[in-house]
Amino acid sequence: MSRIFGIDLGTTNSLIAAMENGEPRVIAVGHNGSALLPSVVAIAPDGAVTVGERAIEMEPHLTVERDGRVSAVGFAGGEYGAVIRSVKRYMGLGGDEIAPEDRARYTFADLSGPVVRFQIGKRAFTPSQISAEILRALKDGAERAIGQHQKLEDEKVERVVITVPAYFNDGQRQATKDAGRLAGLDVVRLVNEPTAASLAYGLNKMATGNVAVFDFGGGTFDISILSIKEGIFEVLATNGDTHLGGDDIDRAVVDWLLAEMPDTLKLDRHVWNSARMAAEDAKKRLTDVAETEVVVELPGHSIRKHLTRIALEDMAAPFITRTLKRCELAIADAKLKPGEIDAVVLVGGSTRMPAVRQAVAEMFHREPLCSINPDQVVALGAAVQASVLMGTQGDMLLLDVVPLSLGIETMGGVMERLIHRNTTIPTSVTEGFTTAVDNQTHVDIHVLQGERELAKDCRSLARFKLGPIQAQPAGVPRIEVTFLIDANGILNVNARDERTGREHSVDVKPSYGLTDDEIERMLEEAIDLGEQDLEERLLISARNDADQILGALRKQLGEYGALVSAGEHARMDEVVERLEAARTGTDRELIAKLVEELNEVTTPFAERIMDAAIKLALEKKSVEELS
Amino acid sequence: MIECLSCGRQQEPSLICAECGAPLAAPLDCFAALGLPRKLTIDLDALERRYHELSRKIHPDRFASSKPKVRDASVRATATLTRSYRTLRDPVARGLYWLEQNGEKLAENNKRVPPEVAELVFEVQEQLAEMQLATDPEVAVERATEIAARRVELQFTMDERLAALDRHFAKWDQPAADKTILTTELKTLLSNIAYLRTLIRDVDRALENAKAA
Repeated sequence: MSRIFGIDLGTTNSLIAAMENGEPRVIAVGHNGSALLPSVVAIAPDGAVTVGERAIEMEPHLTVERDGRVSAVGFAGGEYGAVIRSVKRYMGLGGDEIAPEDRARYTFADLSGPVVRFQIGKRAFTPSQISAEILRALKDGAERAIGQHQKLEDEKVERVVITVPAYFNDGQRQATKDAGRLAGLDVVRLVNEPTAASLAYGLNKMATGNVAVFDFGGGTFDISILSIKEGIFEVLATNGDTHLGGDDIDRAVVDWLLAEMPDTLKLDRHVWNSARMAAEDAKKRLTDVAETEVVVELPGHSIRKHLTRIALEDMAAPFITRTLKRCELAIADAKLKPGEIDAVVLVGGSTRMPAVRQAVAEMFHREPLCSINPDQVVALGAAVQASVLMGTQGDMLLLDVVPLSLGIETMGGVMERLIHRNTTIPTSVTEGFTTAVDNQTHVDIHVLQGERELAKDCRSLARFKLGPIQAQPAGVPRIEVTFLIDANGILNVNARDERTGREHSVDVKPSYGLTDDEIERMLEEAIDLGEQDLEERLLISARNDADQILGALRKQLGEYGALVSAGEHARMDEVVERLEAARTGTDRELIAKLVEELNEVTTPFAERIMDAAIKLALEKKSVEELS
Repeated sequence: MIECLSCGRQQEPSLICAECGAPLAAPLDCFAALGLPRKLTIDLDALERRYHELSRKIHPDRFASSKPKVRDASVRATATLTRSYRTLRDPVARGLYWLEQNGEKLAENNKRVPPEVAELVFEVQEQLAEMQLATDPEVAVERATEIAARRVELQFTMDERLAALDRHFAKWDQPAADKTILTTELKTLLSNIAYLRTLIRDVDRALENAKAA
């Protein structure tokens, strides 16, 4: 059974981690053996993709040449290729939700649709596709690092846990899951970032008490309050803002830096990015020193300004105040007082700012904990949750909540709440629906998420049509609709006719985000990128699947051959032989069919291996505990 | 009877298969889901322990590598467990659920303020209106201070009603309970509490707005 990996898909940096000898460890995938992969994706006009440090070099910026001239370098966007930073901010957004300042940063394709698309070269990319490139880079980097490190047979990264901000709505979660799928990963679970962090902290000390996790990252802010009791991590309340982070402080510093510049210069992508880099650097320096020089070199001119920590803190103050307001709401929802919180944990790069630490300490009347690197703690926690999902983490269990209320639009445009925010997930509610006029064949249902009273102020999740309903007088049909929020915080809907007991098909049209068909098409497009035609690509992909299952089976039979009966072995051999023959041919559907068949034949075996592995892990653990 | 999707055994509905321990997506009432007797008096600590114990057994995290239909059963079983726990944990939700189980519900169209809390409700509403209509900021601050003091009084009344609800629950659990009388009493208590809750929410909002202004 392959390991499940934990991924922190961050606004600024992304990381991948896994359990090793019972400890979560980040894997060095970045430049110079760093675990941080900058979440920056460069796409050249011809579609070539670069992720991480090297993508940053391709960002449009100004550079001072050896002869002292200042020139503009990098992909300027649109037809020139583009470099996308902080793509997480755009996850799950509709075209109409793009701010004017974003339009100065990037070139967008048609903004009328339910999904934002970046225009790069001749193609348009959704945020999920861009994020998929980050995930792919993490996967490839981790596989390479593990291969070098362990010198074992190639371990593949296939099953993953991906973390998301706790306050992500349904659309943002779905977009993250889509990204995983587009990267060819099996996303076993989405886990909330602050909750993951609490797992990383709770692993060593099985403390009992109330813990607040203050997670202030590059682009998002979350506050979660948990109660920890005998290995059960129960989230009591969560709150946050998915568009509030260190990026905002950088932007404020950029505004100050460029204040005297003419508008054309402020909007220039090369100038703006250079100023952003200078601002970010200055902000980081001011964590350790009280004042610093900020310099931006422009052609024939340079901006030099003096920035003190106090001035920076003034610029950051409105953002910090917003985080504190969210904390108050979460504490109240948890039905606690600040004094009843036993520990406060800091997560995210923005908590390095002394002003942030001080504000948190004052809010909770205690010094916050930051013994685990705030950049790594979420990824480490994701690895812990991955091991919970593999069944190797004993009695540890996470009970998370849905961050936003879910409801439907009723008469007069009022939002009727069906599932309240901070309800433990998975959870479900069943509502009865009927028709309003005679012989009505469909009922339209509009699903909403949010805390406001009116439907128009809440976020539209989806619209769906119930039916066809048998023609009957108004009010006679009785249809039960079950709204279920799964452990990922994602909504699932199904409907049943109360009288006939028949399941109704529910055609859910998401208000934002991609439909299943669109994902399928993107998967095909991604394959289509190269020179080969689609058919050939699919054949290669089918052969790869065959190789994978054949290789895995060979390995398993070598290690666990004793777990197979003679009859089973013969049956497996028979399918293996047919698959090996088909693999050399070009009938990809036959290959796929045989892979499926082999999968089925070997499932009981795989389950026994899993049981044996768990037993072994438990024995090993008890031996370790004894020694 | 319900069939386990994992081992196929037919059995009485519960959240966990008696044969193989797999989760069962059985339709269950709140008491049955938690394996509790149908009694309104509940030890909250014991309830939480029971909830945690069952969660450990049926939560989807325990079945991440199982067959899709077992995974699905685990999600549904856990949803039932969670909903049942939340309903029983909150005395008001528990009371409303009890009414529903007895084929009764709080009348929705009855907008008449319950007489037990009428005086308090009217007084506070009047004060709220005065504060909102005050054009002189000093008067507004004065009213806000008065209302803040009222907030304490309201909470006190609320706590007292909740304690009465607790005492009321014990009556149901006695062998010779008169259902008709108790149903009326329960409805009165719950509608008092519902009114107080709304009022406290309105007061908190008004105070919040006053603070912002």
